[in-house]
Amino acid sequence: MSRVTFYLKERLESLRQRILHERFEASKLPVWERVVLTWAVLFAFWIVISSSLRLENLAVGAAMTLIMASFMRDMLTEDIRKTGHILEKLLYFAFLYLPQYIVIMAFRLVESNLKVAKNVIFMDINPGIVKIKTDLHSDTGVTILANSITLTPGTLTLDVRKKLGETYLYVHWIDLKTLNREKAGEKIKGDIEEWLKRVFW
Amino acid sequence: MIEAALLIFGGAVMLFGALGILRFPDVYTRLHAATKCDTGGAMGIILALVLMMEAPALVKLKFLVLAFLIAMINPMVSHAIARGAYKYGVKPKVVVDMYAWDNP
Repeated sequence: MSRVTFYLKERLESLRQRILHERFEASKLPVWERVVLTWAVLFAFWIVISSSLRLENLAVGAAMTLIMASFMRDMLTEDIRKTGHILEKLLYFAFLYLPQYIVIMAFRLVESNLKVAKNVIFMDINPGIVKIKTDLHSDTGVTILANSITLTPGTLTLDVRKKLGETYLYVHWIDLKTLNREKAGEKIKGDIEEWLKRVFW
Repeated sequence: MIEAALLIFGGAVMLFGALGILRFPDVYTRLHAATKCDTGGAMGIILALVLMMEAPALVKLKFLVLAFLIAMINPMVSHAIARGAYKYGVKPKVVVDMYAWDNP
């Protein structure tokens, strides 16, 4: 009896994961949108690096970055899953999400610097390595989350373990407060994961 | 005024980072001091230079590209050093080590 219910539960779990995967695959960006997004990023970089606004310079930059974007389109936009018009997406990202992230990270960076200074002076450290779970699955999202965790106060990412459907991070925590996985995740990740889940999957 | 405050902040943070590298007990806690204080101090100094410099805005943006590269590469390198040290066999001085539980 109990074996049957276990079997049914396993089947249901695998079916749910399959549906999730199919939905993510279906919400992939189309090709021309990827090319346009990559082209926008590369062209902005070209303007900043060449630092001149003359017409022939802009024309050469536009042509070259369009050629590069047409065959490097999967590199940046592989993990972006978001529906909506492309202009809306670009404007939202440039004027709402990116400044929000920069403000959050700037305050946390200043806070972490002050905390390191406090730790150096008083030496009140209690280090430990804890394991936390994240809801992100894509490579870019996990990378940005790990980098942000390294820059937030008192934590440093050691390793990442990715299984199907769940990702675990090993974090070296300089001032160990709790061993509970959910509470440690709440304290370490903060609102960065909420921000990342709106752009990456 | 803001430039001077940012420069002093960057210098002080760099000083505390160097002090932390000397005073902390093992590799991982020293990496804490190195990563955070280097990133924060370098970005403070770069912002101060951007505010001080008399140049067109497109030239100032190059400094922000530099700050972005520092903010992306510095935590990645510290992660690589920490993982490499753990794989090589440097034991951390910690209360609890969940990474050793999963990799016996």
